[in-house]
Amino acid sequence: MNLWAYTIRRLLLLIPTLLGLTLIVFILSHVSGNNVILAEYLSPKLTGAARAIATQALIARFHLNQPIYVQYFYWLNAILHGNWGYTNTAIYSGPVTTAIALFLPNTLMLSAVAAILIWIIGVRFGVYSAVNRDSVSDHALRVGSFTLYAMPIYLIGVALIIVLGVYLKVLPISGVVSPTMVSGLSWYVNGISYPTHIIIIDAMLHGAWGIALNAVIHLLLPAITLALAIVAGLIRILRSSMLEVLDQDYIRLARSKGLSERIVYNLHARKNALLPVITLFGLTVAGLLGGAVVVETIFNYPGIGYWTTQALLDSDVGGIMAATLLFGLILVVANLLVDLIYAFVDPRIRY
Amino acid sequence: MEYTLNVSNLKEQFYTRRGIYKALNGVDILLRKGEILGIAGESGCGKTTLGLTIIGLLPRNAVVTDGEILLDGKDLIATLREFASKEANNLNLRHSENMMKKLNKQLINVRGSRISMVFQDPMTSLNPVLRIGYQIAETLMVHQPEVLAKRRLARSKVNDSDLREALKLLENGADEQSIKAFAETRQLEGIEEQLLNIWRRNDLGIARKEKMILSLRSERLGGFDMAVLERVVNQGGIGGWMRIPGLNRMSKAVLIKEGNAKAVELLSSLEIPNPEEVVKMYPHELSGGMRQRIIIAIALANNPELVIMDEPTSALDVTVQAQILDLLKHLKQRFNTSFILISHDLSVLAEVCDRIGIMYAGRIVEVATVDAIFNKPLHPYTTMLISAVPTIKGGEIQGIGGAVPDMRFPPSGCMFHPRCPYVMDKCRENNPQMKDLEDEHLVACYLYEGQKGEQN
Repeated sequence: MNLWAYTIRRLLLLIPTLLGLTLIVFILSHVSGNNVILAEYLSPKLTGAARAIATQALIARFHLNQPIYVQYFYWLNAILHGNWGYTNTAIYSGPVTTAIALFLPNTLMLSAVAAILIWIIGVRFGVYSAVNRDSVSDHALRVGSFTLYAMPIYLIGVALIIVLGVYLKVLPISGVVSPTMVSGLSWYVNGISYPTHIIIIDAMLHGAWGIALNAVIHLLLPAITLALAIVAGLIRILRSSMLEVLDQDYIRLARSKGLSERIVYNLHARKNALLPVITLFGLTVAGLLGGAVVVETIFNYPGIGYWTTQALLDSDVGGIMAATLLFGLILVVANLLVDLIYAFVDPRIRY
Repeated sequence: MEYTLNVSNLKEQFYTRRGIYKALNGVDILLRKGEILGIAGESGCGKTTLGLTIIGLLPRNAVVTDGEILLDGKDLIATLREFASKEANNLNLRHSENMMKKLNKQLINVRGSRISMVFQDPMTSLNPVLRIGYQIAETLMVHQPEVLAKRRLARSKVNDSDLREALKLLENGADEQSIKAFAETRQLEGIEEQLLNIWRRNDLGIARKEKMILSLRSERLGGFDMAVLERVVNQGGIGGWMRIPGLNRMSKAVLIKEGNAKAVELLSSLEIPNPEEVVKMYPHELSGGMRQRIIIAIALANNPELVIMDEPTSALDVTVQAQILDLLKHLKQRFNTSFILISHDLSVLAEVCDRIGIMYAGRIVEVATVDAIFNKPLHPYTTMLISAVPTIKGGEIQGIGGAVPDMRFPPSGCMFHPRCPYVMDKCRENNPQMKDLEDEHLVACYLYEGQKGEQN
């Protein structure tokens, strides 16, 4: 099928894109002047003579006495083989790949919940706003979404903490679970749950429903903060694209067929109005990642963003390079997904 | 005489920032069953507005101040008039929009099933992200789900000997009635139209048709499909547990699938080549002429009493235009439907219409048969309009001096008086009434006041 050929072509194009990404990360990290590779791959646990020996071994292995473009290929080789070096921060010390395996699941969980909230709220209110244009509720929605749109994400987070966490005391404001509930558990050690590292799922696997519920409640505030920061843009774009679609001839034809207003709006109009929104999905993913760094820091939520912030504060080269690479990777893949979804939902586009 | 549509004294205004445009100023139309009435006039004379008003698809700044539209004796625009009597002086657009939504609800069972409309631009009138088959099947599903269900159930019940017998009947030249009677005695209602539609196809050979008819039997029904179809037949539509989200979607999919099968038959009857492939396509894969045929198929899907065609050929090139007009002539013979054909092109109307109404400044000023309009035009505007049509023989084209009046400030009396060569004093003061002169040749002009004829 045409779409498959296109998918394969796009996957092949991924290779040069990723090479470019690694090259940029490598060059940027070397701007600092110190030898980054040494800092990245030297295990923090080694001291004294062992450290000196390991240093010599690294110089030999990465050919660090040769020109920088030669070094790049040895570094790339290590990256491709899954050897991303070591991180040494206040919250975790050890191989980068292990750190990613520990922290990324939490971020994925947070982003997934936020994405679902964004989709439900955004589509609902965007369509509602367009269908009831110029009504009181439409004006209220527009003022509300514009306000959120203009607010930086940490402001939304702090405002929610103050209102829901401090004054009303309905939602916990920090962490993934109440510490008292998980003390002494065999599958929860040093703030890390096993085996999936997502505490909600792990608790359910171990039949601890109370802990699972507690973890869900802990997830609400960061997820809502992340969702609110991004959903405002979606509402505004969907409203205007829906208004544009509602003026089209095919909507008039749909009405002349005797379809109910609900079908006209929710099928004929919405399906077309969502097309430009899908294009923005790539930006939304970027927003989720950037937002996650801030939100996880505000809420002490042990995800990849929280770890990245720690790495930045501790000048942990291994962590910074790995996080940059990882975020770039996710963005590239998200953009690929956008193009594929677009080709799938809009029949006019078959590349 | 039976009339499908009776429009009387229809008056309509558009409220804009620059003033109030008086779009329709007392339109009268009597449309007979099975007739094609052409409406001709210059741009901006209100032709399209008239069509949209009949089907009730107005922008929110439109207000119908007076008049009636009777479809088989039932008034369609009572809501609009009522709204106008309350808010004509101070139109609130939001109230108007709410009223339009109310009107949409009232007309849901009329639009698409009793009145349908074909719009001017086929390139933008089909939904780009939905398949052709779905867009046709949808209107069938909304208006006659039980017909679709019966068709499918009949196919699941029919056996080989039934089909062979039906085939024998068809080969012996059985007419529609006897096939229908045959289906009823075997309790196979719904099979007859499938048999006839296959039999009537021109693009297939006799052997292929026989094979298709005999293969009507082979399809089996699953338990869920069976439950949906039987409930739809018994209840006359989607209801009960079929409204539960999820089940609703699945039930509709069952009906849409059958609607696709009927869409194929519909398209083949409109002489669209390869209908099985076309229903799976998206609009952008089809040419303009094909898309217009699809739109006509959607309009005719539920056998409506009235089809309004708003410049159906204006966006097409002449060869395709000729094909579409040919198609219209065939449709007129096959369906018992009345058509209103709106066009600025008199030659298009002359080709297919029974009668032509000439419209000027929101009024119909002359109505007559095609022959009478072209050979014996009475109203000065009609005369000038005909002499402005370019002919292949060349010769001087007579334009009409002046321009269409600004409808914010329409002229007093007869609206045509500023451009009329025969203008009299009384034309400037009074608006002439429609008058039936002879053989239903109606004209609104003071030139014919002395002649015998009844006021209409």
